[in-house]
Amino acid sequence: MATTKRSLIKTCTAALCLPVLIACAPQSEQEATLGVLYCAEGNPESFNPQLVTSGTTLDMTAAQLYDRLIEYSHKENNYQPALAERWSIDEHGLRYTFYLRDDVQFHTTDWFQPSRPLNANDVVFSFRRWFDPSHPFHSVSGRGYPFFTASGITELIDSMKALDEHTVEIRLKQQDSSFLANLASDFAIILSAEYGHQLLAAGTPELIDQRPIGTGPFQFSDFRKDVLVRYHRHPNYWRELAASEQIVFRITQSDHKRMLMLLTQDCDISPYPPARDVEWLRQKESIELQATVSPNTAFWAFNTERPPFDDPRVRQALAHAIDRDALLRAVYFEHAVRADSILPNTSWAHHPIPDAYRFDPERARELLAEADLADGFSMDIWAIPVQRGYNPNARLMAERMQSDLARIGVRANIVSYEWSTFRRRLAEGLHDSVLIGWSADHADPDNFFRPLLSCRAKESGNNRAQWCDPLFDDLLNAAIRTELMPTRQNFYQQAQEYLAIEVPLLPIAHSVRFQASQADIEGLQLAPFGGIELRRVKHRDTQELRP
Amino acid sequence: MTRYLLRQITLLFFTLLALSLFTFCLSYWFAGSAVTNSSGIFPDDPSYAAIATARGFDGGYFGQYIAYLRHLFAGDWGRSLLDGAPVFEQLIVRFGASLEIMLLALLVAWFPGVAFGVLAALKPGRSVDNTILGMSISGYSIPVFWFAQLAILLVAVQWGLTPIAGQINPLFDIPAVTGSILIDIALAQPANPQAAYYSAFMHMILPVTVLAIMPMMLLIRLTRNSMLDVLNKNYIVSSYAKGMSTRRVLWSHALPNAMQQVIRQLSNLISLLIANTFILEVIFSWPGIGNWLVRSIYERDYPVIQGGLLIIGSLILVTHVLLNLFHAWRYPQVRKDLYAAP
Repeated sequence: MATTKRSLIKTCTAALCLPVLIACAPQSEQEATLGVLYCAEGNPESFNPQLVTSGTTLDMTAAQLYDRLIEYSHKENNYQPALAERWSIDEHGLRYTFYLRDDVQFHTTDWFQPSRPLNANDVVFSFRRWFDPSHPFHSVSGRGYPFFTASGITELIDSMKALDEHTVEIRLKQQDSSFLANLASDFAIILSAEYGHQLLAAGTPELIDQRPIGTGPFQFSDFRKDVLVRYHRHPNYWRELAASEQIVFRITQSDHKRMLMLLTQDCDISPYPPARDVEWLRQKESIELQATVSPNTAFWAFNTERPPFDDPRVRQALAHAIDRDALLRAVYFEHAVRADSILPNTSWAHHPIPDAYRFDPERARELLAEADLADGFSMDIWAIPVQRGYNPNARLMAERMQSDLARIGVRANIVSYEWSTFRRRLAEGLHDSVLIGWSADHADPDNFFRPLLSCRAKESGNNRAQWCDPLFDDLLNAAIRTELMPTRQNFYQQAQEYLAIEVPLLPIAHSVRFQASQADIEGLQLAPFGGIELRRVKHRDTQELRP
Repeated sequence: MTRYLLRQITLLFFTLLALSLFTFCLSYWFAGSAVTNSSGIFPDDPSYAAIATARGFDGGYFGQYIAYLRHLFAGDWGRSLLDGAPVFEQLIVRFGASLEIMLLALLVAWFPGVAFGVLAALKPGRSVDNTILGMSISGYSIPVFWFAQLAILLVAVQWGLTPIAGQINPLFDIPAVTGSILIDIALAQPANPQAAYYSAFMHMILPVTVLAIMPMMLLIRLTRNSMLDVLNKNYIVSSYAKGMSTRRVLWSHALPNAMQQVIRQLSNLISLLIANTFILEVIFSWPGIGNWLVRSIYERDYPVIQGGLLIIGSLILVTHVLLNLFHAWRYPQVRKDLYAAP
């Protein structure tokens, strides 16, 4: 009996000590996988930026997995060669010729081994996918191409062909001053035609957007929904190799949680820290805070197809009901300026009209009475469930607006879904109104008009106001048919004045985008336009692997 | 015992059948097409008609139910309405992750829970007893999410001792096969298993400890009460009278008999544990079933809700029956009671 007891005690002691022993285990192996942890604010909707417009997906895919023909350098304020080493435009602005590099390799993975480097076929394949409905991949994934459709370049391209192995020619139907800017945006990425044909032969074309192959600095390795996305370094990248061997995006919706994870070193980089904690983070030595004045606008869009929002007086009334200065204090903690136009204040065509959107509950009640809604009504406000550069906390903003609206007799309910569901239902036009926004993809002012408020944008599901006005479209089209700055400025000014009367949306704020990282992270730069670039990011010292 | 075993297994069979009938009916009770709700295939999908036939939707309800069961056993639990991922595959991985912290928490709760309970019972009404009881009552009444926040702020943020999210540092490339991170590391065989285990262990400390607190407090009280009952029994007095040492009396007579009551209560404790696991999974970003189910309810992802309900319901039923069986096997007098035999 005594021996059994003793052995029992021994076993128990051993069992209790085991974790401690493991905990004390020496961490001698240093060749462990090293890399950078980026805490992302949501799941990617797809691994192909052609199909999306959400910044979350762009950040995680565009600059990491793919390359574009040309890139925009905001430092030098011009276009830089990327996959195209040079390009030429004929004197009418209708024929663009791109000369490709010959040393660009695609990713080699378990599911695809490229037999050749990038050539003109890949470029034609990638572009035709979105502008040519007869392309075998055009309807794959069934999401449409919201950016291209909304900005009108699907209709703009007349033809595209490969002149030889490394030369591509694009002919336009009309001159378009924003064409190069659109090509340099995160959406115009290059896929592998060889991979496409292989998938088509295997009968699984949808994998092109789920198990992506590109030419970018990282290659896809793993995706677990709600948990992580894993990329490894692309060893044959045509530029300088990525600085880190591995990038893992940890999916963490809550901004507060992301900040805590940054403090406990569960994250190396975390976008969109909570606005109320920005000052506090700035004082922390272990954390580096970056800010960029990225041209963006947060707005409140009304679904103009649903009554009573089809009446401009109701929309004007709602615009006058909101105290936007209070929102700037409560939601942005003054890290933003009030928006009096959809176009950010950094743009050369910016034309503010403060009077149209001023806070004036009296006027709001009068307008509602004119529209026979003196008793008020009830409506939904959809608030985006994630933090974006333009809006750090849409939920809080919606709650504030609830009380503003109550003052004019409007009862507002707040609605929210998971991000990808939210976007899908939004595109279907199931909302009354939505708090969302737009960040610039390139420097041209057109980026804030055609992709957001044109009739095309409505077809593509990107027009949050479901607003289509031929007169407004004419103004926008006139503005891109010329390269003359004063003329364009004039047209954009008229467009902004028109918006101030129609109020399909209420501009709220242009805000500063923040990003926090561990102090030993280097190579991280926030660009004002487009998604984040992670290829130069690494830990300063070859780090010890943290538990 | 055989009769009891058969009775329990029959009971389990019928309750599981009732559960599956309930989840089957959910397809109809939810809004939208029943085919979509059970399979996750939308009506505009080209394979919709074939799926509807395969699931017996051209026949009567009975045929549909049989087809539903056949799909369940074949591992085809439909697809998520949100992302089209097969529910069963996801379920397995997430169930493994949940089960892992549940079992570990139970293990962590067990030894101190019983030990403190016995200690309190030995000196009833004295300061040791009062301290332990006070601790267990306050521990039991503090909600688990508050404990979790406190632990995160103090242990992880203030002292920087442990990480707060996930199962392991994701830079260790451990593919999720079973969902249980310890087993997955063993399967993946990384270059430096020691470091991987260490990382997984550090990630577990907070969720498992916080999860263990409530069952531990409950165990303390259960053990104490049942131990007090047993210690007043005549056979304990007679053991002492025979000159047995306190230790011997406790180990061989008091504790085994006291455990009978405790084990009977264990299934309640497990239901509590499951509910708390769900909360903690959300707080610690543990990729388990609770995290997923909460999200799916919010998003009205019907195939996932059905699958999640089915698996959690089955888990509770199966543990309940297993505990009953263990109880009956270990304590013959229970069987006698059940058979109403002398």
